Amino acid sequence: MRTGVFHESFRAEERLWDSSTQRRWMLAFLLALFTMPLWGSDYLLAMACIVGIHVIATLGLNLTTGNAGLISLAHGAFVGVGCYTVAWLGKHGVPFWLALPAAGLLSAALGLVVGLPSLRVKGIYLAVATLAAHFVLTFVFREWEPVTGGVPGTSIPRANLFGFEFHGDRRNFYLIFTVAFVAALAARNLGRSRFGRAFVAVRERDFSAEILGVHLLSTKLLAFAIGAFYAGVAGGLLGYFYGAITPEYFALTLSVFYLAAVIVGGLGTVLGSILGALFMTFVPEALRLAAHLSSQWFPGVAALLLPMGQVVFGALIIGFLVFEPHGLAAIWGRIRRTFHLWPFKT
Amino acid sequence: MTRITRRRIVQGLGAAATLGPFAIGSSQGQTQKGDIVIGAAQPITGVFSFAGIAMNNGIADYCAWRNAKGGVMGRKLKYVAEDSGFKLDQSVAIFKKIMAAEKPTFFYGESTQWVKAITADAVAAGHVMTSSTSLATVVADPANVPQHFVPGPTYPRLHEILMEYIAKTYSTGAKPRIAYVYADTEFGRDGIPGGKARAQKLGLPIVEEIVTKQAGIDVAPEVAKLRRARPDIVIFQGYILAPMPEFVRQMAEAGLNPKIMGTAWGLDKPAYDALAKLGVNLTGASMYRYGHETDSAMINNMREHLAKNRPEVKFISPFYVSSWLSGMVFAEIAERCIKANKPFTLANMKAALEGMKDWDSGGIFGQLVDLSSHQIPVGRIYAYDPGKQAMEPASGWIKV
Repeated sequence: MRTGVFHESFRAEERLWDSSTQRRWMLAFLLALFTMPLWGSDYLLAMACIVGIHVIATLGLNLTTGNAGLISLAHGAFVGVGCYTVAWLGKHGVPFWLALPAAGLLSAALGLVVGLPSLRVKGIYLAVATLAAHFVLTFVFREWEPVTGGVPGTSIPRANLFGFEFHGDRRNFYLIFTVAFVAALAARNLGRSRFGRAFVAVRERDFSAEILGVHLLSTKLLAFAIGAFYAGVAGGLLGYFYGAITPEYFALTLSVFYLAAVIVGGLGTVLGSILGALFMTFVPEALRLAAHLSSQWFPGVAALLLPMGQVVFGALIIGFLVFEPHGLAAIWGRIRRTFHLWPFKT
Repeated sequence: MTRITRRRIVQGLGAAATLGPFAIGSSQGQTQKGDIVIGAAQPITGVFSFAGIAMNNGIADYCAWRNAKGGVMGRKLKYVAEDSGFKLDQSVAIFKKIMAAEKPTFFYGESTQWVKAITADAVAAGHVMTSSTSLATVVADPANVPQHFVPGPTYPRLHEILMEYIAKTYSTGAKPRIAYVYADTEFGRDGIPGGKARAQKLGLPIVEEIVTKQAGIDVAPEVAKLRRARPDIVIFQGYILAPMPEFVRQMAEAGLNPKIMGTAWGLDKPAYDALAKLGVNLTGASMYRYGHETDSAMINNMREHLAKNRPEVKFISPFYVSSWLSGMVFAEIAERCIKANKPFTLANMKAALEGMKDWDSGGIFGQLVDLSSHQIPVGRIYAYDPGKQAMEPASGWIKV
């Protein structure tokens, strides 16, 4: 039984993984994750790649919305900017190791612009302002044919690192999860930095934060820029993964997907971003598989259950909001504490 | 402790990263024995479910019908489908899952973006041919999308067929003034350049061009534009139903009475029934015969099969015909490969597809058709007959 974690210094408390048990579990998780291409099926790998991309984008939105409290409905469009950037740069011979950061940087630059209204408006008004940005960007995706390919979309050359081509899900898996791991680590570290604390201060009460010395202009814009950077990188990886993309993918529902992932996972936590993206991707899939499997024993049930999957999915989200507003990360925390204290307290 | 852990992490990740990328499983196509598998990612739920259910039924029913007739050279067709919800992530994952688990020879997908997303994998696999409900130009591309065929004419070809009909119908007197109203989607936009180019060639004036959202449209200002343009013909593209009835109602109120035309999925029962209630007879370019027609053996087969197995289905939608037709082409490709004693590789199947230059579709099309360009550039004009309350042929089959 672990009765608790005792810190003897502030530095110890600030560690990413605060106990040896946690470090061992993290090691086991990472080994399982990074050996997945050796044992996982093609289907599992494809789903994992999609989850990895969504994790990166959700981490970004969680920094903007969860940490800094700035609602963004343009996140899906930022993902699109990243995707079209790698497509265009790839076609012009720019190697992927330059194109991917460039996708993040261009999205970040647009994030700065989209974040400007956050200085004057917040809450639902900011959401509407970012919604406008979403529509502007998706209009550009459809209309700027020489760059985006217009409505029919565009193809994206495979990522190539000094002759090593990332084709196939197994190779893309490493690319995506290496970036996702670095992105999660960076987000976690950001939360422990001066900027991360400034984000939280702005979220809790921005004018109080300003009195405390937080510069609102730079902090809010930074929150938008970093969130958009993550989205841009995720978009770039999405492009490399699919090899082709159309503007339809970057519909408003994608932004809503990320917002739901942040809320369901848990606002302001890295773990919440990961669990939220996992939940939003896998639960509909699990419901679909359950309906599919049940049809083997009860023919005809699938026709009834498949449409119900979306209702169940919606109900699950509402259930989380009502019964656990702190999201899956809080549930995960409770489960961990239960194991820590078992068998004396559950 | 921390350093040791970090080192272990790095070592573990390094080993996995070194071994993993090379652990690419071998992918083999089906051999010349056993069932011929057709995989599918069908939008049975989601925004496209109104079509997805019919698409799923169409190809499933074709497999059942064909198997009841002995299959393809004695081999059964096995249909394996899953619901994609009309989501790209899901439909691509289904493709990869079925490709790994079932090693399908054929795959039916849900959309243009699905085709684009799986093309690299399908070509790399080298043992699968694909089709989908999409009539987009970009997927009828033997060079860049070699594994795919469009089960009908692409949208531009349909508009060219429509323009040819208009030019012939109005060959005497003044040329009719044509207005385009289309949705700002691929379904709406893809055919317009082809239609406009053919109209220009035939000397047909396009007097107005209105682009709208797919839904939630304020029709009144658009009708005002049409009122100024005073078209003789309004061609709708990219809508299954709405906003066509509202356009027609407001045009009538504004004193406009143009002929209403459309193509493809916009000529389905919901559209022509709704317009008929407003006193308008829809006309347009259809790629297939309608399900109520009796002069096609294959359409009759569909009707009989449905009556026996799905008595609740009272109307054969074009989505059903389209996916049934894709199943027929799949079976024909398989049969040609088996007859030539060639394995089901992409190269062999593509060659078989491109060899179908005078293929008999059983009357789904009114003439022998050519699939060598990975599409079937044939169509026919149908017009609503108020007496029969159905779409009836208004022209012969037009090839472009």
